Amino acid sequence: MTTIPSYLQPGDRIGMTCPGGHMSLASAQPCIDTFRQWGYDVQVGQTIGDQSSNYFSGSDDERLQDLQQMLDDDQVRAVFCARGGYGLSRIIDRVQFESFRKNPKWIIGFSDVTVLHTHVYVNFRVATLHAPMASAFPNGESANPYILSLKAALEGKKYRYQWPVNQFDRRGEAVGELTGGNLSLLAHLVGSRSDCKTRGRILLLEDVGEYLYNIDRMMHQLKRSRKLERLAGMIIGSFTENKDTTRPFGLSAYEIIYEAVRDYDFPLGFGFPSGHVRENYALKLGLGHKLRIGRNKASLEE
Amino acid sequence: MSGLPEIRVLARAQENPTRIPPNLADGDLMGICCPAGDMSLEEMQPAIKEIGSWGFRVKLGDTIGKKDFTFGGTDEERRSDFQQMLNDPELKAILCARGGYGSIRILDGLQWEAFVQSPKWVIGFSDITYLHGHINRNLRIATLHSKMCNSFPADWSQVTPSQADSIRAIRTSLRGELFSIPVSVNEKNIAGLAEGELVGGNLKTMEALSGSRSAFDTRNKLLFVEDSGEYLYSLDRCLWNLKRAGQLDQINGLVVGGFRIRPDDPGDEFGMSLEEIVLEKVRGLGIPVCFDFPVGHQPENYPLKCGVSYQLRVQPDQVRLAESAGVGSRPG
Repeated sequence: MTTIPSYLQPGDRIGMTCPGGHMSLASAQPCIDTFRQWGYDVQVGQTIGDQSSNYFSGSDDERLQDLQQMLDDDQVRAVFCARGGYGLSRIIDRVQFESFRKNPKWIIGFSDVTVLHTHVYVNFRVATLHAPMASAFPNGESANPYILSLKAALEGKKYRYQWPVNQFDRRGEAVGELTGGNLSLLAHLVGSRSDCKTRGRILLLEDVGEYLYNIDRMMHQLKRSRKLERLAGMIIGSFTENKDTTRPFGLSAYEIIYEAVRDYDFPLGFGFPSGHVRENYALKLGLGHKLRIGRNKASLEE
Repeated sequence: MSGLPEIRVLARAQENPTRIPPNLADGDLMGICCPAGDMSLEEMQPAIKEIGSWGFRVKLGDTIGKKDFTFGGTDEERRSDFQQMLNDPELKAILCARGGYGSIRILDGLQWEAFVQSPKWVIGFSDITYLHGHINRNLRIATLHSKMCNSFPADWSQVTPSQADSIRAIRTSLRGELFSIPVSVNEKNIAGLAEGELVGGNLKTMEALSGSRSAFDTRNKLLFVEDSGEYLYSLDRCLWNLKRAGQLDQINGLVVGGFRIRPDDPGDEFGMSLEEIVLEKVRGLGIPVCFDFPVGHQPENYPLKCGVSYQLRVQPDQVRLAESAGVGSRPG
């Protein structure tokens, strides 16, 4: 059974850190303000608004230390990754999880944070939150349904998301623990000790800014490493800002994915509101879900 | 001035050596096909002409001139053409016309019985790394990592002498003759002497092979990597994949080829050089490392035999990678 960290109570502290790409304090501020409005105490980590001159929000040591402190500090009840980008792969093997295992807490984020999601799930069987990060909050967006789904998830409310069907869907019902996240990261983690386990589970995939041929290559990698053959079900979030070669690849991202799992019979739902877009519902990875892909509607229930 | 760095010898016994396909002689037949990207018959002419002048005969596969979007024919057409060449006892080598993308889509549909019975050289690089990895790991037969048809110039006066050398060295390699590869010295090199079976190829492709049954077993081997068009962060991520998948821990030496790096987006400067990215992954291993080796997506891309034992000697003033004598077995 997956361990579910305690849901948050008013006054609980959320630690905010940047384990990957750089983020300024100003860009994170609307998110910080919103968490405070929700009644939480926010600890802004050293890596937010770091003075680094390069891509990262601080050196490997600085990012590690910030994350480690929040994992170890009993006062911090949830670790919110303010941004993804790239960087967790560089520090994941140096993160100590002893205190976290004794005192599990919510780890929140997506994209590059997929490294933490799968690492924590396959090694410690603790649930994590795949959810919008700080860049989703500015410009009056902090009360949209997707941000509010994060609030509800932190409060321990169960969810049932519905979304429209898609022409590539495969109808059916499935029950299983939800896992997955960013396709590029899932492919990158194959063979490592943070590699996802998918058998009997519902797999979520999303990605942004990849060449179509590379999406195809990554789907073949997952297939050849036997991650697709025994799924309970699959939900596909958004694949946005896809790039193509001068001569077109000839298939859309959804067609590529459809083709990769054509030989299997598990339920398959496209267009789930998750990914590098505004429509990005909070999902509790590692927990059991019921997936229904119907004739007119698709739903995912915790 | 400090003295010369210590030259460490890292040679370990090689288990399960590869078989080396027979060398080619005058009149031998070489097949050319497109397992990945497409190439027209017209674009193929310079290669056909040059290979003919080497004394080899050429047999063109059905996929030459075929087009299915970016592919040299549909998956089934490419698979069937490659299969036919694997099975054809007349062919002594299969030259992949070009890379691009697509080998992975046909790999699991190929039957290898005839090839294992009667090994022949499979030649190419970049996307063809899928074939190198699969054949090396599963079949233990040597392959040739080299330029492909799309690098043969129509006008040889337009290419540099070293570029021409690196193409014509394919002939030398296939005839089983030795040649030396000129390597410039990078000050970030780590000196040392190592020996082992040479494996490697395109870094991004090696990441994509990771965890699959076609990934190279890199233990006790000399590893070479090259890539083109990737961001620094992506190369860093690829190397973390190899490291975390245990593919760097037990290598005997590392040869870093050409990397045409995609520039960082403004404001997203990665902040580390390629050399720094590589060295932080292997620094503690005590193995020789060389940079700027002439292999990759660049004019100078010398043939290297995957699966054949090489010696890597990295010295402060000189780098040498050459086939070791008397290692490996030959069929029949």
